Amino acid sequence: MYKKLFKKHLENFISILSKFGVVYAPVKKASKLYDFTELTDFKELQLKYTRTMIPPKKFFLKPKEPLYLLNKDKGFKEIVDDSKTVLLGVHSCDINAINLLDRVYLNQFPDLFYKTRRDNTIIIGVSCEPDENCFCTSTGSSHALRGFDLFMHEVDDRYIIRVGSLKGFQIISECKNILADTSLPDIKEFKRVEAERIKRISLNLNVNGIQDILDLSHDHSAWQENADICFGCGTCNLVCPTCRCYDVVDYLKLDLKNGLRARRWDSCMLRQHALVAGGLNFRPTRVERLYNRFNCKMSFSEDSLNCVGCGRCTVYCPADINFVEVLNQVRED
Amino acid sequence: MTSIEKLFYLRLVDSKAVEEFHYNPGQFLEISVPGVGEAPISVCNVQKTPGELQLCIRKVGRVTNAIHRLKEKDLLWLRGPYGNGFPMGVMENHNLLLIAGGLGIAPLRSVLQHALLHRDKYGLITVMYGVRCYSTMLFREEFLKLFREGDKLGVEFLLAYEDKSDAECYQLACERSDRCMSGLVTKLIEATPIKPDNTYAVICGPPVMYKFVVKELTQRHFTPAQIYMTMERRMKCGVGKCGHCITGSSNSIKYVCKDGPVFTYLDALKTRGLL
Ligand SMILES: Cc1cc2nc3c(=O)[nH]c(=O)nc-3n(C[C@H](O)[C@H](O)[C@H](O)COP(=O)(O)OP(=O)(O)OC[C@H]3O[C@@H](n4cnc5c(N)ncnc54)[C@H](O)[C@@H]3O)c2cc1C
Ligand code: SF4
Ligand code: SF4
Ligand code: FES
Repeated sequence: MYKKLFKKHLENFISILSKFGVVYAPVKKASKLYDFTELTDFKELQLKYTRTMIPPKKFFLKPKEPLYLLNKDKGFKEIVDDSKTVLLGVHSCDINAINLLDRVYLNQFPDLFYKTRRDNTIIIGVSCEPDENCFCTSTGSSHALRGFDLFMHEVDDRYIIRVGSLKGFQIISECKNILADTSLPDIKEFKRVEAERIKRISLNLNVNGIQDILDLSHDHSAWQENADICFGCGTCNLVCPTCRCYDVVDYLKLDLKNGLRARRWDSCMLRQHALVAGGLNFRPTRVERLYNRFNCKMSFSEDSLNCVGCGRCTVYCPADINFVEVLNQVRED
Repeated sequence: MTSIEKLFYLRLVDSKAVEEFHYNPGQFLEISVPGVGEAPISVCNVQKTPGELQLCIRKVGRVTNAIHRLKEKDLLWLRGPYGNGFPMGVMENHNLLLIAGGLGIAPLRSVLQHALLHRDKYGLITVMYGVRCYSTMLFREEFLKLFREGDKLGVEFLLAYEDKSDAECYQLACERSDRCMSGLVTKLIEATPIKPDNTYAVICGPPVMYKFVVKELTQRHFTPAQIYMTMERRMKCGVGKCGHCITGSSNSIKYVCKDGPVFTYLDALKTRGLL
């Protein structure tokens, strides 16, 4: 089901959205830095943006998240955040990344905290503004087929809005006055604009059989060369929309009885990630950790990659390690 | 039990949990001490009385030290059981060869107990246990009894000790030189006429042990599917979320917590870094 919204009604549309929850949307923080921020001023909204530095995973798996109140004698009590949130302006790659996170966090052992945030968040996609670091057409994530409530395809002076869920349907039911049905010219324009958008994604990563290539290239010199310049800072994990490792820490108050169990983002590029008792480390060297991250990104499961081609790890790496170049180099020689 | 290992008897206090709580040999629990943290620990006995279980815990860090400081009737919090556990059903009607090093005997003890509880379902049971010395031997009374009288139950219990000058172990070696010898646990495999026919081998021990044991077994024509082993990794969640236990390269990624901790040697051959 598709509807049409003219841009002149966008502010009105957002005020209706705010009835469904606090609206977060991309806002410009510095010259090339966007962030999903609570939208208090319509003028700050940047629906045309390349990518946010921190992906929308931060809404479902927070960078630092209290999980339980704890008491030495009484044990644990969950702290769940069920505040209503509307996430406006999520790109296809990031929606596909959330779909991957869902497969981790909503599987046979659903994570209560993630699930509560997910159930209380409305996701509204928007067409992206690709740059030279995007390669989502290679990873099959240039379109989102599911995982959103509404998706707004920008077509000139309007958005063609696609309904993805019941909640999305309920939202557009509230917007009758400002929405219209799509017409034949809309469809024609939609096709043209989409084709142009896809054409702009020119970077290519050949993922065919990449899993065998990576396993067979364990001793390729590219790993060591890149490990030598890598700072081991973990930024690539932080900014990756599908990286979701976390650590758990207990905090005790001064009474030594009450406290908090919290989790926080962790990074497989850090030394202690695979460290166990007795000082044994299953990935003791940086080169092993780098190799592991590339492998993890190229395989989520037998049927899926764990990378959506957003380009963040390349853009934000302080050592200028280029994700696609490394993989292409490993394939080519 | 030793200077660093204690055996803990746990009873669930939540009556609803007692009904629902079932575990299999090789599964583990996430044990919490509020304010300190959580650690994965294997259950080391077979489930008999509902709501009762045993854990053998070595103090190595924050949580395990805190557990060691507990007194009788103190409270612990637990989640689980997690992990696949040993395929006790698959191994029925086969001989069992259990090979353990050090603390690795804890999960294998639950396999042994399970097989003894269902004695007619399993063939000959051979246990090979490697320790540093007598004083680090876990479940000592139990195992000495098996060492001496196991044959009545169809159990051959063999012991290897590393510390050549250990007097108690030396005495055991004098008692049964074919069942107790100085050296690593692999020495027992070398010295014992074991056949792979109709047999499953089950290994648990410190990470360095696996390669050597597997080598001995494959030389004896055990196939990679006849060898089970249980693995350790850093674990936080135990349920496939936190990413700490992920192992492998992109053509085979395994979560030790939910795909394991029990794997076959075939899994290890396919999954880089698992062994
Ligand atoms: C499936 C499974 C089953 C297990 N079963 C048992 C069992 O039956 N019995 C048993 O005793 N153990 C068992 N273990 C091992 C046990 O879970 C670990 O020893 C656990 O780490 C102990 O937790 P801890 O908090 O006491 O140690 P921690 O405080 O986590 O520290 C342990 C060691 O890890 C290192 N370390 C941890 N974090 C850091 C850091 N941030 N920086 C630097 N170094 C660090 C240190 O070397 C330290 O000595 C099992 C493990 C697994 C995975
Ligand atoms: S962001 Fe770059 S420098 Fe930092 S850990 Fe990742 S690859 Fe290394
Ligand atoms: S690996 Fe890099 S390009 Fe792929 S999803 Fe993560 S941050 Fe984006
Ligand atoms: S322990 Fe968290 S994913 Fe396995």
